[in-house]
Amino acid sequence: MDTKIKLEQVFREVFDDEEIELTDEMTADDIDAWDSLTHVQLIVAVEEAFKCKFSTVEVMKLKNVGEFIKLIDRKTGNA
Amino acid sequence: MENLRQASISKLLKAANRLQKDPEQYSVLSKNAPKIRVAVIGSYSIQHFVKVFRLFLDRAGINAEIYEGEYGGINMDVLDENSPLYQFKPDFVVVFMRYNDVQLISKEDLDTEKAYLKSIWAHLDKIPGVTILNSNFAVPMERPFGTLECDYEHSSLSLYRELNLSMTKDHPKNVRIIDMEYLSSLYGKMNWFDEGNYYLTKQGFGLDYLGPVADEVTKMILPSVGVVRKCLVLDLDNTLWGGVVGDDGPMGIEIDPHNPLGEAYRAYQSYVLSLKRRGVILAVNSKNDLDIAKEPFEKNPDMVLKLSDIACFVANWQDKASNMVYIAKKLNIGMDSLVFFDDNPAEREIIRKFCPEVCVIDVPNEAENYVRALNEASPFEWAQITKEDMARSDSYVENAKREEMQASFVDYTEYLKALEMKGVTGLVGEDEVERFSQLTNKSNQFNLRTQRYSDSQIREMLEDDKKRCIYVSLSDKFTQFGIISCIILSAPNEDNGCEQDECFIENWCMSCRVLKRSVELYAFRSVIEEARKMGAKKLVGEYIKSKKNSMVEKLLPSFGFTEVETDGDRVRYIYDLSVDPKGEVWIQK
Repeated sequence: MDTKIKLEQVFREVFDDEEIELTDEMTADDIDAWDSLTHVQLIVAVEEAFKCKFSTVEVMKLKNVGEFIKLIDRKTGNA
Repeated sequence: MENLRQASISKLLKAANRLQKDPEQYSVLSKNAPKIRVAVIGSYSIQHFVKVFRLFLDRAGINAEIYEGEYGGINMDVLDENSPLYQFKPDFVVVFMRYNDVQLISKEDLDTEKAYLKSIWAHLDKIPGVTILNSNFAVPMERPFGTLECDYEHSSLSLYRELNLSMTKDHPKNVRIIDMEYLSSLYGKMNWFDEGNYYLTKQGFGLDYLGPVADEVTKMILPSVGVVRKCLVLDLDNTLWGGVVGDDGPMGIEIDPHNPLGEAYRAYQSYVLSLKRRGVILAVNSKNDLDIAKEPFEKNPDMVLKLSDIACFVANWQDKASNMVYIAKKLNIGMDSLVFFDDNPAEREIIRKFCPEVCVIDVPNEAENYVRALNEASPFEWAQITKEDMARSDSYVENAKREEMQASFVDYTEYLKALEMKGVTGLVGEDEVERFSQLTNKSNQFNLRTQRYSDSQIREMLEDDKKRCIYVSLSDKFTQFGIISCIILSAPNEDNGCEQDECFIENWCMSCRVLKRSVELYAFRSVIEEARKMGAKKLVGEYIKSKKNSMVEKLLPSFGFTEVETDGDRVRYIYDLSVDPKGEVWIQK
């Protein structure tokens, strides 16, 4: 499955909002419920869904959804 | 709880978020769920824990209001007695600490840390009636000494281990220790410690373990709201031994220590025996002929459990649900005190359906995993284990002997005389307070007002000259029962609505093990004595109806109390203290 579509499902699960549509430029500012607390949840859920583990530096460097997708692809060997 | 414990962390957090956002839709609490106030504070981020904890409490049937401390705010909250924590007036304070809060380099550091913990507890103790649940320290993985860590008392690991042990040895009565060290080793420290998440967002332990920790703390709170399981009800064939005794005979069943399967069943019996030793009552509920079912216990020397370990032995061809009702009645305990362990899923289903109050253990298919299954379910969570507990399960067995003796007496009075009962009554002191609290919180049937008190609340009453906490203990020629009845008297105050020369029976409970033995009257006499000493002319009592206490509905009128008022489920009575109660008591002082 396309990483973006799968990630979108994870976002919808975590934020409990079926209307979320991901764009590459999207950041935490664009989703109301996306705060430092839900961020932790998001990372765990993504790790669970894509069966990978992110390092501290990787999580710190994330700027937007597009980079997140690239990171996932790199980790899962999709790129 | 079972399903929650196995849920993935994403699922848990999602369910927890929903509950927090929309409790009306997602809470499963009934209207009369017990209410408590819990404060959670920690040296690391506890926000996720609080969410998940709220979910576990809700599913356990506890209506909890939760105070969430600031990140790293233990000192801020605890040392300042004007802080929001104190204003919140919690019943429980949960305190999470992590190994890196503490600098343990030498033995002297241990004393500093112990003194710190004591001061935290002493401050929190100023909250009336509070119980403190303080985590111990998950011992870190780092071994600066390498393999030499365990050779030296002053190595890092040894110091943490010693600190943990000192918390166990030396905590006040209203402090309980959350065993994070056990949990971290149970699940594996390699995963428990998640450094990345700690540095990034200050999670004290891997998020995957939020569920297990929430489950653990919930279990520590449950007995205080009255959920206490007392009796393990066991099936026999393929549960206590392999095979079917009716077909294989008492010597043909699998219980041979030289055979792997036999060894597995023996290990299970040993675990069950260890539960009995801490005070769990054992019962048998089996589809068998009674004589045949008893044969292995009597004839097979490999059996770890003996007939004398079983307080109530039921083997017949009736349905097991009816047998469960019989067992509860026979042992004089509620159905909700029973835990059922049976290898047959169909029987488990029947009990779940027809006896929903009974805790039914999910028994795995393999006998070697029985111990693990029962241990993980951990159904016997009590607020404390007293010396009465250690003797209790035997006293139920002795009850059976007593009943045999009763059958041989034509006259019940003769029987009571022959029991040679001896009683002691007195005001509760430090030696009695634990058991007093336990009985007060566990009794459901013989309980006039079903008021619950924490250890600390009881300790406060001991200091209060307007209250009297009276205990009654009993022994007979078979058993030392220890304390079996607890009574709290109070002088007139706003809550009890008594007038000046009156004294109020605030709470009165008794263990049902000693029913119909004139203990009630024996206790009542000491109540009268104490009330007179308090200067009262009249004694006011109340019966508050609960689901379980219909047994004492007529207790007060039976002593000669007159009804003065009925208000819903509450009936108020009065007794003239110049009158001595009628009736005979068969208990010697």
